[in-house]
Amino acid sequence: MLVVALLLVWEGSVRFGIVQSPNWPAFSAVLAALYRGLAGGELLGVIASSMWRMLRGYLLGSAAGITIGVAIALWRPVRLTLTPAIELLRPVPVTAIVPPLIFVFGIDDKLKIACIAFATFFPVATNTIAGVGAVDEVYLKVARTFGIPHAQTIRQVIVPAALPYIFAGLRTSLAFALVVTVISEMLAGSQGIGHYLLTMQYALRAPEMYASIVLLTFVAYALNRLFLAWEQHAIGWARSREAYDAR
Amino acid sequence: MNGATDERTLKLEGLAKRFDGKQPVVVFEDLSLEVRAGEFFSIVGPSGCGKSTLLQVVAGLIPASGGRVLLGGRDVTGEPAHMVYLFQQYAKSLLPWMTAEDNVIFAFNHRLGLGPRAARARAREHLAMVGLEESAAAYPWQLSGGMQQRVAIARALSADPKVLLMDEPFSSVDALTRMELHALISELWERKRFTTILVTHDVDEAIFLADRIALLTRRPARIAELIETGLARPRRAVETHEDPRFLALRHALLEGLLHRPDEANADVR
Amino acid sequence: MPTFARRAGDLVPGIAFLLAILGLIEVAARTGLVNAAVVPPPTAVAVQLAQIVAGGTFAVPLLQTLATLFAGYAIGCAIGIVLGILMGSVRAIYDLFEPLTELLRPIPKPALVPALILFLGLGSAMKITLVALAAFFPVLVSTVQGARGVDVTMIDMARTFGYRPIEILRQIVLPASAPYIAAGMRVSLGVALVVLVVAEMLAETGGLGGTLIAMQHQFMVRQTYGWLVIVAAVGFTLNALFVRAERRITFWSSR
Repeated sequence: MLVVALLLVWEGSVRFGIVQSPNWPAFSAVLAALYRGLAGGELLGVIASSMWRMLRGYLLGSAAGITIGVAIALWRPVRLTLTPAIELLRPVPVTAIVPPLIFVFGIDDKLKIACIAFATFFPVATNTIAGVGAVDEVYLKVARTFGIPHAQTIRQVIVPAALPYIFAGLRTSLAFALVVTVISEMLAGSQGIGHYLLTMQYALRAPEMYASIVLLTFVAYALNRLFLAWEQHAIGWARSREAYDAR
Repeated sequence: MNGATDERTLKLEGLAKRFDGKQPVVVFEDLSLEVRAGEFFSIVGPSGCGKSTLLQVVAGLIPASGGRVLLGGRDVTGEPAHMVYLFQQYAKSLLPWMTAEDNVIFAFNHRLGLGPRAARARAREHLAMVGLEESAAAYPWQLSGGMQQRVAIARALSADPKVLLMDEPFSSVDALTRMELHALISELWERKRFTTILVTHDVDEAIFLADRIALLTRRPARIAELIETGLARPRRAVETHEDPRFLALRHALLEGLLHRPDEANADVR
Repeated sequence: MPTFARRAGDLVPGIAFLLAILGLIEVAARTGLVNAAVVPPPTAVAVQLAQIVAGGTFAVPLLQTLATLFAGYAIGCAIGIVLGILMGSVRAIYDLFEPLTELLRPIPKPALVPALILFLGLGSAMKITLVALAAFFPVLVSTVQGARGVDVTMIDMARTFGYRPIEILRQIVLPASAPYIAAGMRVSLGVALVVLVVAEMLAETGGLGGTLIAMQHQFMVRQTYGWLVIVAAVGFTLNALFVRAERRITFWSSR
């Protein structure tokens, strides 16, 4: 496998002195730093604090995205009022809002949560709008025929039917939220794995720096898989239905 | 073999095709057939008997597991030049980002290398042969099914074929369009006399168009019957279908197809 | 006319809403409800913005950012498309590279900035490399998806007309995958811009990001907001232009 071969080359390049640079530690050194960091607690501590930060921002952004998304999709006045604002704000590179928000929120958790929420909001809202819009007319007509009150229809028909889309949006934002967490921690404050990464860079402690990158990658991967598993559990029926429909 | 072999003769010698896997499938083994130069030949068989696979092996799109294909006396390796193929899914064989005209040019210009004006002129010439001069600048998705297939035919002709292979090309068009396309193919063939092999499950179509028909059994496919149609040319849409010989052939073939799908006539060659 | 609006009149509520929000902030800042030092009145920001634009100070950082962006973006997309077509068409190549790309893809690209700074310093080389890396993956994934989905009938057709495998990749697989490639490139454009701004902010060497962070460090609040508007405008314009171009390329696709 190519991956194994490349790792061997990496390791070999340091062992045999082909590349001599403090910036190019051996893979084994990185693994050692990773182990030390997790066992001794430094890495564990920072990643945990980052995750806590990310979770709060993610929940805030997702909740806002879903509620506003549903509102926009269902009620035309809301759609007309809010869509221009959303379309205007969406292409803004989320990193650019950090400096101004530093003035408003300072450099602590509030800032990062605000940025994460901002970044999470858009994919979730967009997907929710698409999902609600895609709800089969037939379901709505059935609900109307049985005289089901509007609020109940929303809860029991529209939201479940739109769930596959909503989940897709939530999964995309998850990756995005992680990235924004790291970015905001790098740009402001002294907490979290983003800041830790920078500190290791300044201190020229390369193995620790790479170790945190490896850890971050693993976390990103793990989060994605966990989310997929949860999605399967929660709306497995939708995925099987997709497969059925595609026969 | 007497003298130089006409480049349009097609000979299958002991052709075999197997698909390996958890359950190996033998599509056909030891299939031998000789198609004369300029002949309109048809292969008819039940669904899934492997007639499409056979055609793809002849075209060089799938490798054979055994035996040879000889075009003009020479072994065929890969996709031979001057052998063109009409696909059942004609819509998927046309490039949707190109106009009808450009689709036709695609078929010949990388070999002929004509300048843009000459290439367009040649493409339009062939589109005119199928009655589509007006649609040269249209995109395939703007055309009806029958028109799309006609673009595919024009495209095939523009490559100056010696051999035309057709894989159930008319099965996805409506009956009336199918009759128009039959007339078109028949007329074009009369003019150019390329060797043609038509694979179809439609017995009427085979009898109407072909000089000779091979009836295949179910898998593993063998030749059950080899029949000369012997009907007068040019074929006529209404009269030919009422010819007593047409009806007799139809009877014989349908009998074989429906009631004896596994029997092969041992002395067929 | 944007898709959600059916008549020009439909845009009124949205615009009114935006103006109302800006108006509220204006009032709140001027009357001291909100600390004007951290949330300046929009009109003051507008004045700063006008100065930046009129004085031409926006030009140099803007051009720096755009130049770096396009350089890295072009490289990332080119490699992504070529490798994507190959991986999507040749099983062996796919099997060879897929574990590697799947391993590298989840790496949050901003996390690579410190490492790249150590290797390549704070200048353009680091930024271009980062942008290329960020742009590469979405394009690769989309291209592979597109190439794998190309109907075999189209490819067989080209084979019967005597086209060689390389020609088929270039003349059939590539155009057929264009809608997917375009979608991937659109995502990459957004990602590339975000990542570039991060790099510029961390390296503090020029470009829009560098200017933004400098303004923030110097506590020049209104200028910070002003530059934010400029960056937002860049993001908005690039996206709009790309969507226009994308429509031209994918006119034939029913997706």
